[in-house]
Amino acid sequence: MDTLVRVTDLSRRFGSQQALSDVNFCLDTGEVLGLLGPNGAGKTTCLRMLSGMLAPTHGRIEIKGIDLSRHPLKAKRLLGYLPERPPLHSELRVDEYLHFCARLHRLPRRHIPEAVAEAKRRCGLDDCGHRLIAKLSKGFRQRLGIAQAILHRPKLLILDEPTEGLDPFQMRELRTLIRNLAQECGVILSSHLLAEVQAVCDRAIIMHQGRIQFDASLYSPPGSNQWRVRLTPTSDASTLLILPHVLSAEAIGGDRYRIALDALGNPSDLSRSIVMAGLGLLEFVPEHSDLERVFFDLIGVEERT
Amino acid sequence: MIGSIAGREVRSGLVTPLLWVLLGAGQIVLAWIYLKVIEDFTGLSADERVASLTQELALNLFGFAAIVAMLAAPLLAMRMLSAEFREGNFELIGASPVRLGEAVIGKFLGLLLLITPLCLLPAVNLVMLSGIADLDVGHLAAATLGLWLAAAMFCAIGLYGSSLTTQPGASVLIGFGLLLLLSVIGRAESIGNQSVSLFGWLSWNEHLFWFLLGAIRASDLAYFGLFTVFFLALTHRRLANLRLQ
Repeated sequence: MDTLVRVTDLSRRFGSQQALSDVNFCLDTGEVLGLLGPNGAGKTTCLRMLSGMLAPTHGRIEIKGIDLSRHPLKAKRLLGYLPERPPLHSELRVDEYLHFCARLHRLPRRHIPEAVAEAKRRCGLDDCGHRLIAKLSKGFRQRLGIAQAILHRPKLLILDEPTEGLDPFQMRELRTLIRNLAQECGVILSSHLLAEVQAVCDRAIIMHQGRIQFDASLYSPPGSNQWRVRLTPTSDASTLLILPHVLSAEAIGGDRYRIALDALGNPSDLSRSIVMAGLGLLEFVPEHSDLERVFFDLIGVEERT
Repeated sequence: MIGSIAGREVRSGLVTPLLWVLLGAGQIVLAWIYLKVIEDFTGLSADERVASLTQELALNLFGFAAIVAMLAAPLLAMRMLSAEFREGNFELIGASPVRLGEAVIGKFLGLLLLITPLCLLPAVNLVMLSGIADLDVGHLAAATLGLWLAAAMFCAIGLYGSSLTTQPGASVLIGFGLLLLLSVIGRAESIGNQSVSLFGWLSWNEHLFWFLLGAIRASDLAYFGLFTVFFLALTHRRLANLRLQ
């Protein structure tokens, strides 16, 4: 995969307060990166710098090899940004606002109606074109904020707490939308919701006191080949151990088990073996790293000390 | 890009009540002054009149319209940057591939377009006298141009005030304070050395006065042009510095 964003030694100081220190990470096209951290960890500062709103005190941001500080206009053409509060002009109508945003993103005039219609369709705003933004509910305002960010099909999408104000249905829709968008661009999002990050992101960065404390893929590395299954009736982990290519099986509560396969094992064979062994297979998903545990290990323990 | 930003500002200005309130209030005050000037002028015999009707109207009507514009410009400008900072809307422009210079000029042009009807109000009032009184059209055109140039400078100062704070109310006070300072600074001339005319030159009403007398002087054009560009440059500098703060 191509390296879409490269952040090198990024630091930011506000007066005497060091908001961000030596932040380094890369993002590939097609990857969804979640920024996690308690309030004041530096997530929004980091995202504002990535969007070009803030200049770094030290360090460098490159988007597709273009230095954001040296060539801001070229780099900003590649990014879409949804700030913490959607930047909406409440006195305008939805269509007027999106047309204005399209002009800001320098879309050619002839492509604007098509781009606006596509962004509205993706964000579920088809019937809202003539509505006044001031009259929109919080969820619809959030959707409109996302629509302006994806209007010009950016290569990098930066979303600062995109699920804020959304109901569970809208959150699920947004999750699907982000996954769809990630097929053609890279996404960086910040959230307080660990489950949200775990559900939608490929990788998570946990920040604390302006530093990156954790940066890892949320999927188990291919070598480890770990899977989570849910069985009925509830069985014993030892019955899973006798299945071919199973290295270990561990009960993780209720009727769920974590299974590690060896290098030759694959999920289709495992699922077949489970069924053949007469175990009812209710659920079969790749094992994610336990983000919540990691988060509290990194943040919680440190807070207590 | 400049046109899009200016167009958006004009659209937003037209759908919010502030501009219409200012135009309405301005027209009421100007109409009262207009009637007062006409009444006073017609009450005097030809020997008692010290100035022509055109001069009387230009000095009183356009002079007062300048005061209204001085109040209106910071009020209209507060929405453009200060309120955008407060509501987070400026991030839309900040994260877009837009040069800050384009944003500043776009907003300034939008503001100037919004305040232009206010500058035309005195001339519109005088249309009622066409065919009745023999007015000097060239003189009134010069006065209108002077008023519009002064309003352009007020807009630039209002925009600069708006860029300084996230509190729209405070931005109005800053803009109005700067304009008031540039208005009364001419009086400082009488305090110090009489031969030093710098303070007099800095005062905008001294320059507008010549336009209201019907004279278009290069030095007055330069004054308004220079101060407009100067405050727009300060606004640009301020916005550029926001990224560093």
